[in-house]
Amino acid sequence: MAAQPNGTADAPIEVSLIPTVVGINFGNSYASIAEGSAECIANEDGERQIACAVSFHGEEIYIGNQAKHQLVKNSKNTITGFRNLLGKKFSEIPSDKPSVSAPVIQHPEQPDVAAYKVQVLQAAPSPLPTTASNTPAASNAATPRSEPTPAERILTVSEVTTIFLKSLVQSAEDFLGKKVQGAVISVPTWFEDAQRAALEQAAEDAGLKVLQLLEEAAAAAVTTTTDATSSGLPADRTQLVVDLGASALELHLLSLREGLAFSRGTLSDRAVGGDAIDDKLIRFFAKEFTKKTKTALAVSPAGGAQDARAEAKLRLAAEHTKRTLSASPGAATCSVESLKDGLDFAGTITRLRFDMEVRAVYDAVLARARALVDAAGADLLDVDEVVYVGGSASLPGLDETLAQGLREDVVTPFTAGTVVGGGVGDPTTILARGCALQAKLVATLADGTEEEREVRAAFAGGSKWTQARATSKTVGMLFPEEGAEGPLGGQWIPTVLKDTAVPCRRTLRFDVDLGEAEGEKKVGFEVWEVKEGVKIEKVKPPKDEEEDMPEDGEEEEEEEEIEVKERTVEKENLLTALHFAAKEAKKAKGRWTTKVEVQFLIDENGALEISAWEIGASGRGEKTSVSVPAS
Amino acid sequence: MANVVDIQVVPPPLPASWAPPASTGKATAPLVERRLLPAGPAYLAHVKRAVHKLTFEEHDQHAENERKRLEALNGTGVNGEDDLGVGDEEEGDDLLLLDPKEWKKQDHYRVLGLSHLRYKATDEQIKIAHRKKVLKHHPDKKAGVAGDANDDAFFKCIQKAFEVLTNPERRRQFDSVDPYFELLEADVPTPTQLKNAKNLNKFFFETFGPVFEREARFSRKQPVPMLGSYEDSKATVEAFYDFWYNFDSWRSFEYHDKEVNEGSDHRDDKRYTEKKNKAERARRKKEDTARLRDIVDRALAHDPRIKRIKQEEKEAREAKKKNKGGAANGASQKQKEEEERKKKEEEEAKRKEEEEKAARAEAKKAKAAAANAAKKARRQQRAAEGDA
Repeated sequence: MAAQPNGTADAPIEVSLIPTVVGINFGNSYASIAEGSAECIANEDGERQIACAVSFHGEEIYIGNQAKHQLVKNSKNTITGFRNLLGKKFSEIPSDKPSVSAPVIQHPEQPDVAAYKVQVLQAAPSPLPTTASNTPAASNAATPRSEPTPAERILTVSEVTTIFLKSLVQSAEDFLGKKVQGAVISVPTWFEDAQRAALEQAAEDAGLKVLQLLEEAAAAAVTTTTDATSSGLPADRTQLVVDLGASALELHLLSLREGLAFSRGTLSDRAVGGDAIDDKLIRFFAKEFTKKTKTALAVSPAGGAQDARAEAKLRLAAEHTKRTLSASPGAATCSVESLKDGLDFAGTITRLRFDMEVRAVYDAVLARARALVDAAGADLLDVDEVVYVGGSASLPGLDETLAQGLREDVVTPFTAGTVVGGGVGDPTTILARGCALQAKLVATLADGTEEEREVRAAFAGGSKWTQARATSKTVGMLFPEEGAEGPLGGQWIPTVLKDTAVPCRRTLRFDVDLGEAEGEKKVGFEVWEVKEGVKIEKVKPPKDEEEDMPEDGEEEEEEEEIEVKERTVEKENLLTALHFAAKEAKKAKGRWTTKVEVQFLIDENGALEISAWEIGASGRGEKTSVSVPAS
Repeated sequence: MANVVDIQVVPPPLPASWAPPASTGKATAPLVERRLLPAGPAYLAHVKRAVHKLTFEEHDQHAENERKRLEALNGTGVNGEDDLGVGDEEEGDDLLLLDPKEWKKQDHYRVLGLSHLRYKATDEQIKIAHRKKVLKHHPDKKAGVAGDANDDAFFKCIQKAFEVLTNPERRRQFDSVDPYFELLEADVPTPTQLKNAKNLNKFFFETFGPVFEREARFSRKQPVPMLGSYEDSKATVEAFYDFWYNFDSWRSFEYHDKEVNEGSDHRDDKRYTEKKNKAERARRKKEDTARLRDIVDRALAHDPRIKRIKQEEKEAREAKKKNKGGAANGASQKQKEEEERKKKEEEEAKRKEEEEKAARAEAKKAKAAAANAAKKARRQQRAAEGDA
């Protein structure tokens, strides 16, 4: 196999007690692989983003990014985009889409199975048997051909997947120096059972034990709830996962509650993706090429065979341009030798120009995000954190566009500064790292008893334990205050947010101000269920601006009213109240304060129990409890 | 552990007019159905609580146990590889500032982070410990980090320590004079302490036990009988003292040898130093033998078991005599026994004195010999100069 370097030794089987497990992000266009301690592994070409492509050239097989280059001259024998076809019947695959790589055909022998036909060279048969003196033995048979013979090879989608996964695992084993004993592989949310089964089968054929097929949103949630990324963020938050891959856009609205995640909505759009960005970019460069050289070049869709080849070359070069743009604020170059008619091309594009060209894609992402949160009955203002996944999501322009719809204090990998330099928020490695963390978790589960096996089974697809009930209203504490601002009449501390899976427990610790007065001191609060909403106000912009430009009539109209959104909290339901006397109060700067811990416990039926105690010098004080029945 | 969230909000004091509203009796809002993403430790915890039907408090306990199990699975090492219990020791500032030129004074075990194992460390453990230290302190690791040029000093110390501890002969020499144990050597109960001890029985075994355990490492014969307990039989006790009076020690003192003066390559000079070293070694060895003997003597003199055994023997004899019916005879026998014992003790003391005398004499002789040799050498030298 071409992908294997010389001197590859079999990875030794370790007797270590912790099995070597990896996480694989298996996308339609790119894959990446990460190891137990959540570090993305580079393959032998130094690529952390490995293109999902397999190319056959003569006797050689190219896998990964090398295979992508084969798309220029050898596109008939190059297979890409095979993941999405896994587990699908030939009749289910839409055939209208023109393909730049090897076409999908009906398998000649098996009915209704999708396959690829590639031209390969079969290795020459072994030379004639020789005698001891190393001369050919006498034989009546005709001398066999000493050259490899051209042949046709039919590969099913699952065979291609097996070849690809095998090479991924081989890269990982070469890197780790250990035999890989299991893997967690990411799958898109829309994968059906048949597709999951097909992927599992293909992985098994590649000699890989699948520990779990993990939804991409879940992988992102695992990575972002580990200590490394979530430090400084609240444990209870709403997360918007923007997965802008090469071939599709997927959006997930996740509710993360102390690491426990569930999806409040998912939306996928195959029309928006990195390929759409590529299309726009190569069209821009093709136009520039025509302007510079006076040579007509029609790309996407290509005008002819020559144009198609030029398009393939441009696409490869544009990949590099995109990466440069993501990494640096300046201009990026794109240069292709002999693009068409032997003419070279070298062009530059600035980030501003690029953002203008692909504005439509960014806007589409924002529109889809709006549609998603609306469908989930939420608002974009409810999003506390944005997580970007996929190579195209590394573009800073996308973040800037999305920021328009979001709250100002929303945390994105760009505002946290963790995108560049392979930081924890690097969109290209998040899924693989999440899978690796999950693999480590699953691999270390005990399975001694029946119950422990039950726990292990809970990670399999469609387990009943994934069914859970969640709260529908935010519950919190209201500390009444005289003459307080706002409609609530006191200090509001939300404790159990809505959409928290039950049973749950939240413990808060804080100081309570007890005033200046001596004598008996009391801590007390009311427990409310609240209604959260978004208030939209139309505000006229300040007058003086309009006066500044009186002649520009159009703009005036546009700016007439600005929508101002604000999150609101409304008291809805008084559940109970709790109070106790403070005994461990301390005086500082003339005011008495005490430290208090309050615990909210909601059982699986929704009954709420609230306990509170003081934290004094001698540890926990007396516990006061009150409970609210379930409805 | 319960996850306690510290929040920075400070609620205001209660208004004087506030009275806790009577319980409204209202129930919580109805729950909604959701499908969890089966991923992450939080999901695992959620499932575990559901499957094992645990409350949050019970689950906290459970998680703690699980953590311990995983820790055991990991071994104490890093990266899940078993490091044979080498572990990580703290490196004090004084350790990192060691001067490699003074390597003879350094504690090699401490330098390699093996001070909890010392002479018990196996070759494999030494290798692992050395590897760990090298990975941490190799000068290449520190290249680029601003610092003084001398920051490979500790690395040199590590290399020296490894060199000493991997050579069996040199390791034996270092083990003989291990500074850690030399400090402990003085920690032997004194006769006054033993006399004043409130509970001699307990005090004896508590103080002498570790002393003998410490000394046992020097024995060429293994295993070494240990002090044991109060209930030991006469045979065991006798075997114990028998062994310790005939203790065959491998302890030697080459480590304290003075280096042959580098500047002089005169062979007489060398011979002179060698001779001195040899004498010094012999002296130390003798001292050590005497020290051990003293310990054993002291133990024997205060051993509550001896008393007990004698008592028992006496009782047995008396019982026998009673059976025979002659009481007076018993008394005389007891006297006889006492006399015999005294005699033995005297003999013992005499022998010891003699031994010490002999040792002193020998040391003197050796010294005299050395002095003679030196004198002779000087004389010869002078003669040679005169000839020239």
